[in-house]
Amino acid sequence: MKNSDQSYQKRRLATSYVTTIISITMVLFMLGLLGMLVLHAKNLSDYVKENIGFSIIIKEGVKEADILELQKKLDKEEYVKTTEYITRERAAREFSEELGEDFVGFLGYNPLLPSIELRLHASYANPDSIRLIEERLIAYPGVKEVDYHKPLVDEINQNVERISLVILGISLILLIIAIALINNTIRLSVYSKRFLIRSMQLVGGTQKFIQKPFLAKAIVNGFFSSIIAIGLLLLVLYFATNEMPELLDFQDLELFGILFALVIFLGIMISWISTYFAIRKYIRMKTDSLYS
Amino acid sequence: MPGDLIIILDKVSVYQNENLILANVSLTISRSEFAYLIGRTGTGKSSLMKTLYAELPVRTGTAGVAGFDLRKIRRHEIPFLRRKLGIVFQDFQLLMDRTINENLQFVMHATGWKDSILMTKRLQEVLAKVGLQTKGNKMPHQLSGGEQQRVAIARALVNDPEIILADEPTGNLDPESSEGIISLLMDISKTGRAVLMATHNYAMFEKYPARTLKCEYGKVIPMD
Ligand SMILES: Nc1ncnc2c1ncn2[C@@H]1O[C@H](COP(=O)(O)OP(=O)(O)OP(=O)(O)O)[C@@H](O)[C@H]1O
Ligand SMILES: [Mg+2]
Repeated sequence: MKNSDQSYQKRRLATSYVTTIISITMVLFMLGLLGMLVLHAKNLSDYVKENIGFSIIIKEGVKEADILELQKKLDKEEYVKTTEYITRERAAREFSEELGEDFVGFLGYNPLLPSIELRLHASYANPDSIRLIEERLIAYPGVKEVDYHKPLVDEINQNVERISLVILGISLILLIIAIALINNTIRLSVYSKRFLIRSMQLVGGTQKFIQKPFLAKAIVNGFFSSIIAIGLLLLVLYFATNEMPELLDFQDLELFGILFALVIFLGIMISWISTYFAIRKYIRMKTDSLYS
Repeated sequence: MPGDLIIILDKVSVYQNENLILANVSLTISRSEFAYLIGRTGTGKSSLMKTLYAELPVRTGTAGVAGFDLRKIRRHEIPFLRRKLGIVFQDFQLLMDRTINENLQFVMHATGWKDSILMTKRLQEVLAKVGLQTKGNKMPHQLSGGEQQRVAIARALVNDPEIILADEPTGNLDPESSEGIISLLMDISKTGRAVLMATHNYAMFEKYPARTLKCEYGKVIPMD
């Protein structure tokens, strides 16, 4: 009877420790993500800016040779990173694929115009330069119109800020949850060791002495959590760089080292501080009142 | 000589929760003194002991133990009071998660022993005194009730404390072992230690007479 009760308690305690580690891991993961985002806010917005580019729509009836000539000229401009000529056939094909329906056959003619997709170097991808570049592009002969998504650039900058705030908010909520879980774990742990703790107190063990093993365990758990969190962050990094290789700048490796060290430090501190306050509270409580 | 008094209680009332167990307890015990505490079961012997080691608060009167004022003692000072006492608990209070040696070492570490050679030496010395020299590496649950009780006694002796509070230290022992323990405690008291021993073992204190206090009708009264 007593034995099964004890093993039940042990299992509950083990589950509780695992939950605690997971919750700290989640906090650290979110904060790490935030750190990575901040570290890469510039890389990210550069990447997006360079990928925004313009669509230069060519007038009806311009000859292909002239379009290729124009493309060559554009390639020589210092603000141009890449250009790509989209024939009207290709435009129609891509649009059909998007629609899932052969609209050319349906209409009986191809209404689309040829265009040149142009990507900018990041340093030119600010609103002022973009406006100037737009004016210069439109001045080329044969150009019908220039499309670019000005709001997108601003939106990205705003988004980075907004995402940061959201992540920070989520981290805060997760932190509160983690602290509550740690508190509960320590309560269970003190309760399951209540006889031992009482005996230690009776033979003259100070609070500091008695809480030492709990704090040692907290440090180990915090460390564990940070290692798991770092693993997850590396995973995210791996997939992100697969998507956008420009994201990882190897000069940032040192910054990553600092970020990960910070994650470990934070993990240990979160676990240690919450455990410290919880253990102080529960060791002081009369053991009878621990469970009422 | 008042300078030799190491336990002084004056008009102390002992409560368990809100129940008055003993009223107006006044008693003194000096160094080198051995005293029995007797009384029927439930009369408050353990409660009086608990008061002396600050497990129960002193709310009225004055109480001094080993230089600590129990009316004014702060929570964080209690461990330091207890380190001056050697307490044999009625329910042993062994640390069940570690060996006998580690049980004694816990108390020694807590009281600042550092030298592991000296610790081992002292440890074997006290275990030998209670006849357990071969049991140091056993876990408490591997020992009999009487053996556990003797571990509790050894632990109380390990720091050579100024006061020994022994709550029924022979409750689980055969008459022969009981005699051994009582004469051991009496010898220790002669080296300048105060010993207060609660017991039901009337045969023993006829054989080893000493000052006797009795708990009865909510009072502690001296017996002649
Ligand atoms: N934790 C407690 N809460 C409430 N009442 C208690 C508590 N412990 C003991 N008592 C009561 O206090 C009274 C004195 O108990 P105590 O343990 O001091 O007796 P005792 O003289 O040591 O008895 P015994 O010889 O059986 O050990 C008893 O009536 C008991 O019921
Ligand atoms: Mg008792």
